[in-house]
Amino acid sequence: MASKGNLTLKSCNGKEFIVEEKVAVMSTTIKNMVDVDDSFAQGVIPIIGVDGKILAKLIEYCKEHAEADEDEEVKSEEYLKKFDEKFVDELNLNDLYDLLKASNYLEITKLLNLLCQKVASMIKGKKPEEIRRIFNIKNDFTPEEEEEINRQNPWAF
Amino acid sequence: MAYSSWTTSFPEEVLEHVFSFLSSDKDRNAVSVVCKSWYEIERWCRRRIFIGNCYAVSPRMVIQRFPEVRSVELKGKPHFADFNLVPEGWGGYVCPWIAAMAEAYPWLEEIRLKRMVISDDTLELISKSFKNFKVLVLSSCEGFSTDGLAAIAGNCRNLRELDLRESEVEDVSGHWLSHFPDTCTSLVSLNIACLGSEVSFSALERLVSRSPNLRTLRLNRAVPLEKLPILLRRAPQLVELGIGSYSAEIRPDVFSNLAEAFSMCKHLKGLSGFWDIVPGYLPAVYSICSNITSLNLSYATVPSPDQIKLISQCHSLQRLWVLDYIEDTGLEILARSCKDLQELRVFPSDPYGAEANVSLTEQGLVSVSEGCPKLRSVLYFCRRMSNAALLAIAKNCPNFICFRLCIIEPRAPDYLTLEPLDAGFGAIVEYCKELRRLSLSGLLTDRVFEYIGTHGKKLEMLSVAFAGDSDLGLHHVLSGCESLRKLEIRDCPFGDKALLANAAKLETMRSLWMSSCLVSFGACKLLGQKLPRLNVEVIDERGPPDSRPENCPVEKLYIYRTVAGPRFDMPPFVWTMDEDEGLRFS
Repeated sequence: MASKGNLTLKSCNGKEFIVEEKVAVMSTTIKNMVDVDDSFAQGVIPIIGVDGKILAKLIEYCKEHAEADEDEEVKSEEYLKKFDEKFVDELNLNDLYDLLKASNYLEITKLLNLLCQKVASMIKGKKPEEIRRIFNIKNDFTPEEEEEINRQNPWAF
Repeated sequence: MAYSSWTTSFPEEVLEHVFSFLSSDKDRNAVSVVCKSWYEIERWCRRRIFIGNCYAVSPRMVIQRFPEVRSVELKGKPHFADFNLVPEGWGGYVCPWIAAMAEAYPWLEEIRLKRMVISDDTLELISKSFKNFKVLVLSSCEGFSTDGLAAIAGNCRNLRELDLRESEVEDVSGHWLSHFPDTCTSLVSLNIACLGSEVSFSALERLVSRSPNLRTLRLNRAVPLEKLPILLRRAPQLVELGIGSYSAEIRPDVFSNLAEAFSMCKHLKGLSGFWDIVPGYLPAVYSICSNITSLNLSYATVPSPDQIKLISQCHSLQRLWVLDYIEDTGLEILARSCKDLQELRVFPSDPYGAEANVSLTEQGLVSVSEGCPKLRSVLYFCRRMSNAALLAIAKNCPNFICFRLCIIEPRAPDYLTLEPLDAGFGAIVEYCKELRRLSLSGLLTDRVFEYIGTHGKKLEMLSVAFAGDSDLGLHHVLSGCESLRKLEIRDCPFGDKALLANAAKLETMRSLWMSSCLVSFGACKLLGQKLPRLNVEVIDERGPPDSRPENCPVEKLYIYRTVAGPRFDMPPFVWTMDEDEGLRFS
């Protein structure tokens, strides 16, 4: 069991992480659980649908930001910006996808913002077929439908 | 990863969140073609739309596709309307748009219109239909009066921006400003510079006083200099100021009062207006000059020495609009003092005079191009130019995105060699790889168009007047400039052959304007039949074009891409070439 001020998070594949409460509650979802039900604060909090690898990543991110929120002196804005940049740069597409889903479910707003911006930056300036290739998306338009949208887009909007 | 996990198993709100970081229309459009679910999500979360031609699409189509729009920007008449080439009553009426949006978009917050006709009734409809209306920008619009503005002032409780830049407003009463209710404290920007008559100063003063967020205030000529300090003291937070009349008898107390009021406006970055300027009062603004990034003196007839004194204090200047009173010497000082200059516009003070009234030549622009490495955008009116100067300018400023040169006398050759200016403009397109917008003037042969077609790969808008010798010129442009969206041509010997040979190219452009060229009515009919996605409009004030021989050139031709089909609000002097009938009568 986690000592006071710490929480235990358990991934869907059974991995347990002991983290400081201030780190864990960067997730609004976890914060609400702890606030509403004291037993979560004592026992183990199951993080449904998030495996150990992704949970570790989430905790890595939250730790840096929770510490920075607490003491601006220790970690400057510039340091955090660099950390964020490195954090998203090192993600492969699968991890990016899983982290997006997890940070959305766990309501880690800052991280969600960061990841969404990352995805947006991968889209910017690209042609539709490039976007499809990057994200492995199947084009499910009929040629006629696609032609119709291409007819409207550049001229009307 | 599973195929299409980015579409099927993803919560919609996450993609919406991603798309919210895509602000350019191009990116949003690309996203919408990726797959069906992205199309759906994108269309429901598109909040802003820009429609570059109000006849390119119908309000119904827009509303059907984008049900949750908050901000609309619409453009009406062709750009050449600015030069009185579009006859009165041509169109560009915004009424059908507003009527449709009033039904569909109760939460619409912003309307920005350019070169459109808007009536007082339509302004009233705007003021009453949108619950949380915030921004109205009417740029070069017409058809309305101060009564319509009174409705906007009176009914839009959360108005943040009212901007009437370059609009033609019928001045019924200066009291419309007093219709802003006392509870209205949300104004961020107010531009009434285009109004002719006096506004109620007490209403203006009260409005400014109760608008703590006011950042931009552009006054009209009727606001006297003596009253300016009162407003400045009420709004020391201003960032952009359009000064009204800048004229008064020189009196030390008036001057010191004004200078003191200016010195309190620490945030001012932009100055414009200065009508009827008395140069003796210019030093009153010196204390804030070091912060000024944008200076518009195009309404201020200031002698060169006074301009030089002013500009030499504005070290941070990024944008300067001036009259040619600045002269070559002034531009030389500008080049030495303002290293951050990005945009320069020099307008003629006496465009119709036969002789030069000031000493402004190609040399002024050469100086600025040498001294200001960040220069990206130029509009320059002058009376003489040379190929050598254009070559120097092109080499000095390879980062130009906009280069508009207007040599006042049509077909003026290189004044040194008497050669055409082909090589000079050729250098501009060759060296400035990022050039998006170009306006040509002076003596030009087909050769310049060959250069433009070869090098102008990113060129999006081209304006041509009194240039070229044959169809070949137009052919080079249409076949070469792959990014071209808007082409406007007047008084050039371009005709059917180039147009018909490149008809398919027209489907990739937003619009083509040709007036006083050599395009025949027969060719217009043919284009209309061949290209059903284009509206081919013949504008001819001499009467029905089929009353003349088919090979007779039409007066004006306006061709544009549309997904809405022919328009229905044509005046009697406009005919659209239809795919079935060849000619549709309005």
